[in-house]
Amino acid sequence: MLSQIAFWGAVELGLVFAFVAIGVFLTFRVLDFPDLTVDGSFPLGAAVAAVLITTGFNPWLAAAIAMVAGALAGLVTAFLNVRFRILNLLASILTMIALFSVNLRVMGKPNVALINADTMLSPFFGLGLREVYVRPLFVGVLVVIAVILVWRFLESDAGLAMRATGANARMARAQGVDTRRQVYLGLALSNALVALGGALFAQTNGFADVTSGVGTIVVGLAAVIIGETLFGARGILLALIGCIVGSILYRIAIQLALSTDALGLKASDLNLVTAVLVAVALILPHLRRGGARS
Amino acid sequence: MRNLILALAAATALTVPAKAQEVTVAVTAIVEHPALDAARDGVKEALAEAGYKEGENLTFLYESAQGNPGTAAQIARQFVGEEPSVIVPISTPSAQAVVSSTRDIPVVFTAVSDPLGAQLVKDMEKPGGNVTGISDMSPVADHVALIKEITPDAKSIGFIYNTAEANSVSTLAALKEEAAKAGLEVIESVATKSAEVQGATRALVGRADVLYIPTDNTIVSAFEAAVGVAEEAKLPLFAGDTDSVPRGALAALGFNYFDVGKQTGEVVVRVLKGEAPGDIPVKVAAGTDLVINKTAAEKMGVSFSDAVLSRATRVIE
Amino acid sequence: MIDLKNIHVTFGKGTPLQKEALKGVSLTIEQGSFVTVIGSNGAGKSTLLGVLAGDVLPNEGKVTVGTTDVTRKPTAARAGLVARVFQDPLTGSCGALSIEENLALAARRGERRGLAAALGPNRRERFRERVAELNLGLENRMKDRMDLLSGGQRQAVSLVMATLAGSEVLLLDEHTAALDPGMAEFIMKLTQRVVSERKLTTLMVTHSMRQALDFGHRTIMLHGGEIVLDVSGDNRKDLQVEDLIAMFRKMRGETLDDDALLIG
Repeated sequence: MLSQIAFWGAVELGLVFAFVAIGVFLTFRVLDFPDLTVDGSFPLGAAVAAVLITTGFNPWLAAAIAMVAGALAGLVTAFLNVRFRILNLLASILTMIALFSVNLRVMGKPNVALINADTMLSPFFGLGLREVYVRPLFVGVLVVIAVILVWRFLESDAGLAMRATGANARMARAQGVDTRRQVYLGLALSNALVALGGALFAQTNGFADVTSGVGTIVVGLAAVIIGETLFGARGILLALIGCIVGSILYRIAIQLALSTDALGLKASDLNLVTAVLVAVALILPHLRRGGARS
Repeated sequence: MRNLILALAAATALTVPAKAQEVTVAVTAIVEHPALDAARDGVKEALAEAGYKEGENLTFLYESAQGNPGTAAQIARQFVGEEPSVIVPISTPSAQAVVSSTRDIPVVFTAVSDPLGAQLVKDMEKPGGNVTGISDMSPVADHVALIKEITPDAKSIGFIYNTAEANSVSTLAALKEEAAKAGLEVIESVATKSAEVQGATRALVGRADVLYIPTDNTIVSAFEAAVGVAEEAKLPLFAGDTDSVPRGALAALGFNYFDVGKQTGEVVVRVLKGEAPGDIPVKVAAGTDLVINKTAAEKMGVSFSDAVLSRATRVIE
Repeated sequence: MIDLKNIHVTFGKGTPLQKEALKGVSLTIEQGSFVTVIGSNGAGKSTLLGVLAGDVLPNEGKVTVGTTDVTRKPTAARAGLVARVFQDPLTGSCGALSIEENLALAARRGERRGLAAALGPNRRERFRERVAELNLGLENRMKDRMDLLSGGQRQAVSLVMATLAGSEVLLLDEHTAALDPGMAEFIMKLTQRVVSERKLTTLMVTHSMRQALDFGHRTIMLHGGEIVLDVSGDNRKDLQVEDLIAMFRKMRGETLDDDALLIG
């Protein structure tokens, strides 16, 4: 039903958005901080990487700087929330809106092309493997590295402090955890990962566009939720793997909707399908919790 | 009856070009939009005129990315995987997604205003590789001339646009250049979403002598809001696309995107017939036509000269 | 040791709801002493505990724990000196984390938290031993999420958590109030053992007159933001629950609705 190219294309895009899913997992699930900054930090990462690459920077360095830019965006949201006590959701919306202008400033125009530029992937194209496989393989290796690092972090003393902050802030403070610092750290880390996703999106697809942030949060949440549905709440590592699998499955679902009319779905229905999926997933825990209580 | 069908089939076969093999043309646009949809229909029309008919010897695929570049990337892979004869991406991000996904399948882009800046081709005259197409770089010089002709007393042009749209930004740069040559000043006003169009238009009242709205998806989607303000303030409102004239613009010298699509379709046909895309120069769309709106002119306190009236390809009463 | 000097706390200062919760409380508790605190609702018990824990920063006065002036330090910054067990078992531990993760979190109280794995083999073994001492069988459930435990089990683990990192002071905030009588007794025995083994300077707020007199070396009663009773030694030995209730009545100028609650 799906051609090889379409299938591996979906896997590749799913892997790129796995960075978003991991970032969203860190804020929504670990820190219990609904962070919409990602809708701005994803195109920010794409913009910073694209502009730096076109001005001659090493693409790896460009991606690293994109991560720093994403981290800074996260810090702004954390600052608004922690320092001025602006509601977390609102604080992140403010940053997201501001980033729209920032991204335009960074690029100087709404679209920067990378089609002819040397990217992180270029050196791997000449090794004999078809591009169709090189791209998901390359992004996949990066995702696996990211998952291992995030997993090790969340199971370290520092990561435990972050998890406690999200799960029970009062207890965390009583155990000597500076919960405000954890919010800064968590949002910086999350948005750095999302920005890396944006940088990879620009490099694998040949362009950075200011509109590419639209709905990033929903796609990330959908991936997290699909993962949770499949793997349940059985530890950090499985949750992170769930983010990857969820993200890939989400993209394959879109690809199927594009390739067939069998389900009666059109590409134009995807926004609705995604929204319903996320809504159901947001409602489910409440139902479960209610069930446990009664 | 059977004989009749056979006869019909034979007749059809005769009108079909000699190379009547099965072809697949895959069209994708970043978003559904009247101009982009018209371009798609134009491509189809040109194909039909050349004898490629859907259901007979043509498979015509179409997908819209719903405004999402991520989906655009997936559509690009989907099409590349299906190995159509030609892929026709409409708009810049769709074209970039397709061009970066294939180096073999012929690509004929359209409705891209700056193909060089978008890195779709390296050279307009000799694109090379598997890519060529039609650019819809706005005929800004002609627009400025039209403004001078219809409203000779105007000293400044109010330009309403969304900073996020590539086409609008490049139009603005061109407009500034052309306006300066004509001794006109350009005053910018930005709306980043359709809800802001009314405010952005209002911000120009008293500051600009005429209004000019480019082919900006955001602004065009809330065109009536701008028209309302323009009529209220008796500000002549010019549009970058002719489709906006029936919606209340005074006049537009724009592309008929159906015609742009047809021109694109003609290039597609050349490719289908065996020409290499890399040998076909990227052309700027031709056939700009003048559409004027008499009702709007009255409300905005403008009257058309006989010259303008006679030149108009379409007059809305 | 704990030293409070002339602590004033006013909530909602300058608003119609202004309330003076502590009116110049001074209190010194020597190293290793176990003090119980009683008082009716609104007497200032919780505020006093908050001032020591860092949840409440006093408007006036000075708070010293050990040799450190902590008057202006927020909760997290003084957590290395002050361990705490909350009334609500859900507050004192983290339901979403496992037993051993909760312990790992507590073991680093007051220390820098680095990137080393929170649960190495050595730590795991140490935590297991400490939990095994509870005789609740929890040592076999170290990887279970905390929210699978009963309230009493959670309080027992909370007590272990409070004593994992060496802290100066242990604050007990009616930590048996939410438990059934049998479990409450178990937790009190455990508390007694832990406090005497580790010679912790302890402040226990309680609703129970019985507990207040049976445990510790000294009992203070708060009323209207002031210390109205402070007994220790022989005076305290002679004191009966009935005496405390009589004092309560006198203080409030009314009869108590529910003597049983106070005696229990």
